[in-house]
Amino acid sequence: MNNVINKFFLWVVLLPAPLYHSMGVNELQLKAILRTKLIMDDRRPNSMQQMKRGKEKVSNRATLLTMFFSALLGCFFLIAFSVGKTYTVQLSIYFSMYIFLLASSLISDFTSVLIDIRDNYIILTKPVNDKTIVVARLLHIMIHICKLVLPMSLPGIVFMGINVGVAGTLLFFLYIMLATLLTIFLINALYIIILKITTPQKFQNIIATFQIVFAILLYGSYQVVPRLVNKMQLENYNFANLGKWVWIAPSYWFGRAWQTVMDSSYSTGGILSITLALFAPVISIYVVVKYFAPSFNQKLSLINSSSVEGGSAIPKAIITSQRRVGFISQISKWVCQAGAERMAFLLSWKMTSRSRDFKMKVYPSIGYMVVMVGLFLFQKDRFATFGSEADRIPILITGAIYFSSFVLIIALAQLTFSDKYKAAWIYYSTPVSSPGLLISGAFKAVVVKFYLPVVVLAFAAAMALIGPSMLPNLLLALFNELFICSIITYLTIRQLPFSTQQGNNSKTGSFIKGIITFIIPSVVAVLHFFVYKIFAVVCIFAIMSMILTWLVQGSIKKISWGVIKGE
Amino acid sequence: MEPIISIKNLRKSYGDKQVLKGINLDIYPGQVIGYIGPNGAGKSTTVKILCGLISDFEGQVTIKGHDVKTESLTVKSFTGYVPELAELYDVLTPMEFLGLMAQLYSIPDEVATERILKMMAALGLANNTDQRMDTFSKGMRQKVLITSGLLHNPDIIILDEPLSGLDANSVIIIKELISKLAADGKTIFYCSHMMDVVEKVSDRIVLINDGIIIANGSFHELQQQQGDKSLEKIFAGLTAQDSLSDAAEQLRTAFRN
Repeated sequence: MNNVINKFFLWVVLLPAPLYHSMGVNELQLKAILRTKLIMDDRRPNSMQQMKRGKEKVSNRATLLTMFFSALLGCFFLIAFSVGKTYTVQLSIYFSMYIFLLASSLISDFTSVLIDIRDNYIILTKPVNDKTIVVARLLHIMIHICKLVLPMSLPGIVFMGINVGVAGTLLFFLYIMLATLLTIFLINALYIIILKITTPQKFQNIIATFQIVFAILLYGSYQVVPRLVNKMQLENYNFANLGKWVWIAPSYWFGRAWQTVMDSSYSTGGILSITLALFAPVISIYVVVKYFAPSFNQKLSLINSSSVEGGSAIPKAIITSQRRVGFISQISKWVCQAGAERMAFLLSWKMTSRSRDFKMKVYPSIGYMVVMVGLFLFQKDRFATFGSEADRIPILITGAIYFSSFVLIIALAQLTFSDKYKAAWIYYSTPVSSPGLLISGAFKAVVVKFYLPVVVLAFAAAMALIGPSMLPNLLLALFNELFICSIITYLTIRQLPFSTQQGNNSKTGSFIKGIITFIIPSVVAVLHFFVYKIFAVVCIFAIMSMILTWLVQGSIKKISWGVIKGE
Repeated sequence: MEPIISIKNLRKSYGDKQVLKGINLDIYPGQVIGYIGPNGAGKSTTVKILCGLISDFEGQVTIKGHDVKTESLTVKSFTGYVPELAELYDVLTPMEFLGLMAQLYSIPDEVATERILKMMAALGLANNTDQRMDTFSKGMRQKVLITSGLLHNPDIIILDEPLSGLDANSVIIIKELISKLAADGKTIFYCSHMMDVVEKVSDRIVLINDGIIIANGSFHELQQQQGDKSLEKIFAGLTAQDSLSDAAEQLRTAFRN
């Protein structure tokens, strides 16, 4: 118990200890369980940190970090107060963001943090009664939610405090609490729905997908919302264009209800909003406790480990479409030599599709790329500075080839990591003559998977819009990128694919390395921009680039066992 | 003598699949029971029922006269359980983890701390008590688990594959410990696939297959019934449908293509 916040929460929730005692709870055991859970939370990276690459392995301050991030998000919500003239509009938007972001951050925590399958073995085998376990679990969930909600709502509360006085702020806080209850209900409902339509085994993947989408949306809204607020005339926005549909959004109930109470103007709509804001959360929480919770825990315990409970849930084997794999193995025959290189290609292809760990790290960055490219396209005024009207499309397409290589670089950086890193013994126990072949095969798999689709699209677009005259420029861009990535791979990758534990790479200088790997392609892209009209130069450079790529690829294959760092 | 564990007509199904099909077993204090059977025979299910992890079964199970279903807390307080998989909160240190265990068993803090330190030292983990267990080897985790099962000085100790991951010296310590605890009058329920160990440590061997007990007696008695063979051979004779050497032969001939 090494931080004040956990101590404080523990003290607060244990204040009614005599009450717990009279309910039949063993308060000493309750305290012991809660204290342990809080220590564990503190040492576990949260959902936001899981997204980050190269995280520190030992984190003692997970709680503080979570609270800090929540407070930052809370500041971001204040944008809502720049829209429209009435608090109904502003608070509705505020609550929309609040509910959405709270739900997104809580969604994974319910499986990973709050319901721990190990409890079955560790706590249930001890003489602890059910009431103690239930109360411990509820209090743990409560503390966990408070850690998110309090910092998240703090900026809003301060803002309201400055602008509307004590009564308005208290009312605002009440609605925050109600919105929180409603959010918990929404998550529960979502879980129930997902569990209905899918198997527990796929559940984690679906939640992971939600998290990825969440990260992208968050990034996208962070980029887009301020621009929208600036560009469109939102100062006078009200929900008139939505008509009755506005009632679908729970956030509107809260915004409208706040305004109604503050103005004391009780119209039909106003009273309806108050009713909904007060009763919907209360009823929904009642439903959760009464109907969802009992079967919920049981089902959730299946999610984490279906085999533990014996034969109750026999996991269905996931049958992968043979045809698709056949297609991939055909490609692998074209680009790789038989043996170790092809094996590494196929392994990397499958691992990058199936490893949740890898997807969580790489897919969000692909999303960020899409958002960035989207913004780039829609900023016509800035884009206009690049050459004349006729030059735009070629520059755009060539730029896309350069830009999308960032995804490739991110994927390559993740390639050596896996949570099943110990399985890398297969490389060492088999007679692989040159580990370079493994790296080369994995490199090719990532290129084909994460880069080639964009390149094919770009080439197709260029052929359709401009014609073959674009070809030298496209090839130059492509081979520049391949050369850069090859040389980065050759110089930096010292581990075999999927052979290293995440978090072991927090060496000094990795930040600088990261920056450089992003700057080099940009610089090359700018240099290319200066010569792109000179046909002969482009052709010569393209051929040089091709030769260099080919040479470096050859060198990668020759990487020897001497330079490979094993575990 | 009153049996300390009494299992009467125990049945348990998962959905349509019946895992335990009427187990009847009486176990007396001070015995070491070797509970063996092929994968999927129902061993783990029996263990989970004895530990109070599963309560929706048919039949009657009493431990020291207390019904496992209705008085599970009492039963849990004098039962120690060492689970098969290394299930522990590995972001904690052994001291923190075992401290939690002690509190759940309502052992006073001073007693617990002293006990934990002594037990950890005996298992050679004296210098690791304040390190997080996520860096521990499988054997070290197993030692912590064994400690957590014995911490409250239970009368009945349920061990599910307790030697997995342990080095040879630790195996000797635990085997010695089992005999000593049994001599002190503790009852030990020992589940394992390691036939040579079961053969040596058990006073009585219970072999289950497909949810029913197919052999029950001391190793000597089993030898009298099944012939003068090792437990491994007896086990194979009773549970394997096909000849095991045929299977080995098929594996060998798989190379001939």
